[in-house]
Amino acid sequence: MSFDIELILDSIPKMLVGIGLTFELLFLSLALGTALGIFLLILRISGRWYLAAPTMVYIYIFRGTPILVQIFIIYYGLPQLEFVRDSIFWPILKEPFGCAIVALSLNTGAYLSEIFRGGVLGVDRGLTEAAAALGISVRQRFIYITSPIAIRLCLPAYSNDVVSLMKSTALASTITLLDMMGIARTIVAETYAPYEVFISVMVIYLVITWAIQRTFAWIEKRMSRHVRREA
Amino acid sequence: MAAVSGWWDDFFWGSLVVVELFFVALIMTVLFGLIGAGAKLSNSRVAKSIASGYTIVFRGTPEILVLLLFYFGSAIILTAIAQIFDPEIKFVDFPPFWAGSFAIALIIGSYATETFRGAFLGVDPGQIEAARALGLSNLQTFIYVRIPAMWRLALPPFGNHMLSLVKDTALVAIIGLEETLFVAEQAIAYTAKPFTMYIVVGAIYLGFSTIITLTVMGLERYANRHLEVWR
Repeated sequence: MSFDIELILDSIPKMLVGIGLTFELLFLSLALGTALGIFLLILRISGRWYLAAPTMVYIYIFRGTPILVQIFIIYYGLPQLEFVRDSIFWPILKEPFGCAIVALSLNTGAYLSEIFRGGVLGVDRGLTEAAAALGISVRQRFIYITSPIAIRLCLPAYSNDVVSLMKSTALASTITLLDMMGIARTIVAETYAPYEVFISVMVIYLVITWAIQRTFAWIEKRMSRHVRREA
Repeated sequence: MAAVSGWWDDFFWGSLVVVELFFVALIMTVLFGLIGAGAKLSNSRVAKSIASGYTIVFRGTPEILVLLLFYFGSAIILTAIAQIFDPEIKFVDFPPFWAGSFAIALIIGSYATETFRGAFLGVDPGQIEAARALGLSNLQTFIYVRIPAMWRLALPPFGNHMLSLVKDTALVAIIGLEETLFVAEQAIAYTAKPFTMYIVVGAIYLGFSTIITLTVMGLERYANRHLEVWR
């Protein structure tokens, strides 16, 4: 067994071609998942049991099953059902890319809504009570009082979730998508050099993780700059 | 559901494999976590940097990548060793069960390292000083004072790690272990009912997640029993 440097130099550019797809999967499902998470959060804290209960069931199911199984159910499973094939969603669900986005968004939305809920629950009650005493409406209280503080509180957890979403995008390679992981697996199947190829792609993933963490650390610092005391 | 009727026993054996994998990986996870936390809290600079390298790599790369690297990587080494003795041998692999449980334990162990580290730091130094004053040896302090106190703090996040662990076992089907997802694939090849079969897999995992959640709740109550108000 030897370490083939040439193969590494040869395969890194090939794998970087897939980085675009990895980022597309990440950003699209992050945007959709965040929207879904906020929607679920609002249902959850609405105080009406017939809105909150289905949300809790949804979160329980999506957090209690492996994301791989969810991807398989959506990609391989749904076409078995005729009404899915006749529905308007079929153009999205017949493509592996659409399925990956749907699965990743539904999954991350469940996790994010719990994170957001943690942030909202962390907001000092006195603030919302004071706002209520000032005659500010429920909606305005949520937008102008609760949200800005809650966002700051849940930012560290949010950043962790972005990293785990990024790691989950690699599972798209199991439904034929050629993201970085998919390309790496193809090269390994051709050359049978798992060490060289997989370790190179590992380094690329590590750099992305590092970039995500640095970005969020910077945002966190900026968002809490009024809290920090001048030295 | 009629299509599943002939497959219940296969799903049962598949679930047993998941349970075995879970417990084997859990033991290794606790081990790696304790070693990692010990290294991070030690005074040795080498041990510290190895431990932080470990957590950075295994928390920042996709699980499926680690798994494939371990499985195919170990296969290449084993094949090379086997060929020294018998040049006719084409392929020797590490059993997927062990490659899988080892890879998963390394991943979750990196999360456990951080959890245990935080929990050890959270133990009141006064308790350790008191143990010293009573003449307990280092080992006795560790077993009778540090571990019970640390365990209470580590339990809630460790429960989440156990949930990730059981969900990650689904990935081992990719390297050919005959667990539930693998059974589902065989059943689909035979019945052409992917939706039904994958839903069964999802339901099995949901069951496992529920059991773990309830167990952790029970353990937490047990660990904090002395803090309960006596009624």
